[in-house]
Amino acid sequence: MDRQIYILVVEDELEVMEALVNDLEQFEEYFPIESANSSEEAKQVVKDIYASGNEIGLVLCDHVMPGQNGVDFLIELQTNNQQHNAKKVLVTGQAGLEDTIQAINNAQLDHYIAKPWTKEQLEQVVTAQLTNYVMDQRYNPMQYMMILDSVRLSEYMRTHKITDH
Amino acid sequence: MKLDTKQIVGISIGLLGLISPFFFQLEGLSDAGHVALGIFFLAAAYWMLEPFPIYATSVLVIFLQVILLSQQGFLFPESTAQYTPDDYTAFIGTLASPIIILFLGGFVLADAAVKYDLDRNLTRILLSPFGKKPGSIVLGLMVVTALLSAFMSNTATTAMMMTVILPIMARIGKTDPLRIGLALCIPFAANIGGIATPIGTPPNAVVIGALSQQGINIPFGEWMILATPLVVVALLFAWFLLIKMFKPEAESIQIDMSGKFNTSGNAILLYIAFAATVLFWVTESFHGVKSAIIALIPVVFLTLSGVVTKEDIRKLPWEVLWLVAGGISLGISMKSTGLAEWIVGSIEWSAFGTISLLVVFAGVSVLMSNFLSNTVTATLLIPLAVSLATSGVAGEGFNLIIVSLVIGVSASMAMMLPISTPPNAIAMSTGTIQTSNMAKAGVSVGIFGIILVVIYALFYWPFILN
Repeated sequence: MDRQIYILVVEDELEVMEALVNDLEQFEEYFPIESANSSEEAKQVVKDIYASGNEIGLVLCDHVMPGQNGVDFLIELQTNNQQHNAKKVLVTGQAGLEDTIQAINNAQLDHYIAKPWTKEQLEQVVTAQLTNYVMDQRYNPMQYMMILDSVRLSEYMRTHKITDH
Repeated sequence: MKLDTKQIVGISIGLLGLISPFFFQLEGLSDAGHVALGIFFLAAAYWMLEPFPIYATSVLVIFLQVILLSQQGFLFPESTAQYTPDDYTAFIGTLASPIIILFLGGFVLADAAVKYDLDRNLTRILLSPFGKKPGSIVLGLMVVTALLSAFMSNTATTAMMMTVILPIMARIGKTDPLRIGLALCIPFAANIGGIATPIGTPPNAVVIGALSQQGINIPFGEWMILATPLVVVALLFAWFLLIKMFKPEAESIQIDMSGKFNTSGNAILLYIAFAATVLFWVTESFHGVKSAIIALIPVVFLTLSGVVTKEDIRKLPWEVLWLVAGGISLGISMKSTGLAEWIVGSIEWSAFGTISLLVVFAGVSVLMSNFLSNTVTATLLIPLAVSLATSGVAGEGFNLIIVSLVIGVSASMAMMLPISTPPNAIAMSTGTIQTSNMAKAGVSVGIFGIILVVIYALFYWPFILN
C-alpha cells in the first residue's frame, strides 16, 4: 500500500483524547492515528496529510471545543473535494438536536457515538466505518482482511469480481 | 502514469526482446518468423514481469500482430514464398472466437448467480449432509467449492466461501490447526475445481482455443469426462493432506448459514437458464450443438428478460476475455510464420521418451504457474506443445490433445505461494496462515498433481480419446 490512510482524532480535553487514542491502539499498525486538540489544529493536520500524498479515512471528532465547533469543522471538511470521502464520526455528549441535524444534513455524518463510550463499541464503529471507506474507495480489500471486517470485505470481493488470471 | 524502476526494467527487456531478432539471421526461420519471435519475446517479458497489466499486454500482442504481420500491416502486404500473411481479421477475430463466447456465457451465468445468491444458497444446501465433524466439514467445503468453481470464477468462489468459513474460524480456538486447514482448503479446492469444465478457469480456454485452431473440437461433456476423474482424485488427496497436516483439535463445528432461495420471478428465470445451459453443455456429444452456441442461450435469455442489466454487463470481467484472446492470437502467427515449428525443430526431442516429455511439460507448467498467471503459463507453453505434436518429431505416442491437456491441467495445480493464484492470495490475506503452511501443502499438491497428470496422460486420456 503506497498511500497511508489516517485516523484523525479531534478532541480538546487531553484525558479524553488519550483514552480515545488508547482504545484505537489495535488499528494503529494499519491506520496511523493523528490527533488535534482544536478544529484549527485539525485543519492544519488534514492539510499536511493530504500534502504528503496520504489521506484521511476516518475522523473522530468532539463537538464542543474552544474556537470552531466540531460540527462546523466536519461541514467544512465535507465541502472539500478531496477530503469529503473521509468517514465522519461525532464523539460527544453535548451536541444538541440542532447541531446533530446540521451534522447529518450538511456533513453527511456517518455515525454518532455518545460519551461515555465503551472500547468495544468504539472498535466496532471504527471497524465498520473504515471498512466502508476502503470499499467506497475501491482499494484492494485483501490488504485489510486482517484488521477490518473480513466477512464484508470477502462479500465485496465476491460481488465485485476479482478475477482469475 | 508514473513508472518505477521495476517497470522500466520490464519494459526495456520487452522492447529489447521485440527488436533483438532483427539483428540476427536465424537459420531456417522466415523473415516473418523473426518478427513473430520478437513479438513472442515482448509478450513473454511483459506477461512474466508485468510492467503492464497482463490484459493490456494481450491487446498489445493483437495490435502488434495486426500492424506487423497481417496482410494489412506494414511489413508483409504481399505473400512471399515463406509466408502467407493472415488477414488482420484473423487476429482481432480471436476476441470473438468460440471459446471466448463460451466464457462470456459462463460469465453471464455466474454473474447472475451471484446477483441472486444462487451460489450461497447452493452452498448452504450442499453442505448440510456433511454433518459437524471437522474432517467431514472440510471435505464438504472442498467439494462444494470445487463444484462452484467449475462453473464460476475460482476467485469469486473463494471470496464467497470465505464469508462461510470466517465465522467458523472465529469460533474455534486460536491455536487449533483446523484454522489453517480451513483457510487452505478453500483456495486449494477452488484451484483444483476450476479444471473440471471448459469454463472453469482461463487456462482451459487456452487449451481449447489452441486445439480448435488445429481443427479439433472438444465438446463440453468430453472435457468433463477427461478432467473430472482427475479433479476428484486431486481433491481427495488435498483433503487428506490438509487433515493430516493440520490435525483438527475441535470435536465438532457448527456452520450456521441461514437464508432461503430467492423466489422472485427473475431468480426463477435464472435458475431455469442455469440448469438448461449446463444440461445442454454436458450433453453436447449427444445433440451436437457446439457449446459456444449454447453459451448464447443464457446471454440472450437473461438480457431479454432483464435478469442481467446493462450495469451487470459493464461489470463482467472483460479483461479475462482479452487475456485469453491475446494468447490465442499469439498462437496464430507462431504457427503461420513457422516460428513454433522452428523452435521445436531446434531441439533434439527424440532424445526424450514420451513419458519424460510429459513429465517435463507438466513440471514446467506447474513450476511456471506458481510464479506467473496460470493463463500466461498455458499461453506460453501451448504453442510449443502443439507444434511439437503436429510436427511429429516427438514420436508417435505424443498426442496433441493429451499434451495440451497436460499443460492446461498442470497450470491449475500451482498453489504453493500466495502469488500463485488469486484464491491463494485471498486465503493468505485472512492472516490465519503462514506462507510456510501454504508452501508445504502446496508443494505436496503440486508434486502429486504432476504425477497424477502424467498417469492420466498415459492411461486414462488415451483410453477415452480413442
